[in-house]
Amino acid sequence: MSWLDERFGLSSVTQFLKNKLIPMHKHTIWSYTGSAILLFFVIQVLTGFILIFYYRPILEEANASVARIMTEVPLGWILRSVHSWSATFMIALLFVHLLSIWINKAYRRPRELTWMTGVMLFICSLLFGFTGYLLPWDDLSFSATKVGTDIPRAIPIVGEWVTKLLRGGEDVTGDTLTRFFGIHVCILPIFLLVLLAVHVYLIQKLGMSIPLESEKSKKKLKEIPFWPNFVYREAVLWLILFGVCLTVAIFFPPSLEKAADLMAPAPEGIKPEWYFLFLFQTLKIFPARLLFISGETAAVLLIFLGIVLFFFLPVIDNKPEERKGKIVRASAYLFILYALILTVWSLL
Amino acid sequence: MKLKHSLFSRRQFLNGLIGGWVGAIMAALVYPIVRFIFPSYKEPDEVILLYADYKDILPNSSKIFPWGSKPGILKKNDDGSLMAFVGVCTHLDCNVEYQPEKRKFFCACHDGWYDEFGTNISGPPPKPLRRLFISIEGEDLIIKKEGVE
Ligand code: HEM
Ligand code: FES
Repeated sequence: MSWLDERFGLSSVTQFLKNKLIPMHKHTIWSYTGSAILLFFVIQVLTGFILIFYYRPILEEANASVARIMTEVPLGWILRSVHSWSATFMIALLFVHLLSIWINKAYRRPRELTWMTGVMLFICSLLFGFTGYLLPWDDLSFSATKVGTDIPRAIPIVGEWVTKLLRGGEDVTGDTLTRFFGIHVCILPIFLLVLLAVHVYLIQKLGMSIPLESEKSKKKLKEIPFWPNFVYREAVLWLILFGVCLTVAIFFPPSLEKAADLMAPAPEGIKPEWYFLFLFQTLKIFPARLLFISGETAAVLLIFLGIVLFFFLPVIDNKPEERKGKIVRASAYLFILYALILTVWSLL
Repeated sequence: MKLKHSLFSRRQFLNGLIGGWVGAIMAALVYPIVRFIFPSYKEPDEVILLYADYKDILPNSSKIFPWGSKPGILKKNDDGSLMAFVGVCTHLDCNVEYQPEKRKFFCACHDGWYDEFGTNISGPPPKPLRRLFISIEGEDLIIKKEGVE
């Protein structure tokens, strides 16, 4: 150890982690979400790497290669199932993570950039889900991707180009599949890792935030060391979550429909992954025309505006204790309500 | 270091030189990259099919042909005349299907319907299905885009 330490200077890192303190208060549980997201990301990387050994990203073979993973490759079905379920867990935890930070205002100065990198990590993960969904190349995922990549077309001026960029042409074809594969297994991982490095660096640099109430009352909070006390507590949660994920993966493996056929009519019951359902339903409830633009354009622009506002939330919420701060917090609850209602509605 | 009558220091000059050089290389790279990731594929102006393959469509039924990478739908009306459509929904691009029992085109993605002549009648589709033009020359069934001679 000391041989390595002499060369790497690791003790400054371990010393830092031992000195790092986690404040204990009634919102501390939300700080567990961050490392749990990381856990599922690591699972995604590991299972993803192994899936690449058998998966074939071309039109003629993609579906059959996933079928082979499910039936022939030893334990392949578990790997695919864990990859698919762990994606769901990761994104569900991301929702909780971001919403808890929004509600507790943990993004307050000086943590604006931590929030912004967090939002970008979230978008990256959604793109992971969107591109991964097409890879099994069955008729459901094919039609869902046709719809999903057609939506940007509603954006004025650049929309047409975005659709072409995503599809690698006018239509969803084998080129789209290969492109999505490259984005899924190469471009997004690099992006995500870089963002993650910045995000984690900022968290270490700035330390854990303290809730508004305790900041005001100036009462000293109880603190525990990050290492080992807090990490041990996190580890308990990782074990539980991993166990739950593995269990559902074993009992509910993802299905594989028949291979997509570019010429076949869309099957009934196409829908996107669950985390896109509320956006999907938003698009659906807009009227065909709104004043002088089409309803779709209005909906897409509105969603885009929502993302921009979300990204700049810490800048907008610059007076957290005043009336504006209360409105920002209330809007988080409104968002949760809206997303839940529309998700349920889309399933009816 | 700065010479007496010089406007900028040696450091500034070199920084500008390197910066400009890197910038020029980047600019030269952007164009081919953009060209590369936006393919120039266009849908066909016309496709030529063998008439014999499509002659036997029954009245009030349809058959699919490849229109580039989209499905085209060839449909026979009750009076024996043929109609051709691009078989994708004008809403969000799903492939549609002709349902003879209902005498309608159906899009399963968001429950869109078109009548037997391709006019949108219910659900989200904002426009009729795109019509294609048919001509028969000898053994060939030629299907053309609107406005192509
Ligand atoms: C380095 C990281 C990753 C690699 C190398 C990778 C690789 C793959 C491969 C080869 C497939 C196709 C096999 C299959 O469909 O089962 C796939 C599918 C998929 N991936 Fe990933 N992946 C990675 C990260 C992620 C992440 C971070 C997410 C989501 C947050 C994700 C979500 C999905 C989804 C939803 C599918 C479709 C699952 C299915 O229905 O089979 N992946 N991935
Ligand atoms: S894509 Fe056909 S109704 Fe939406």
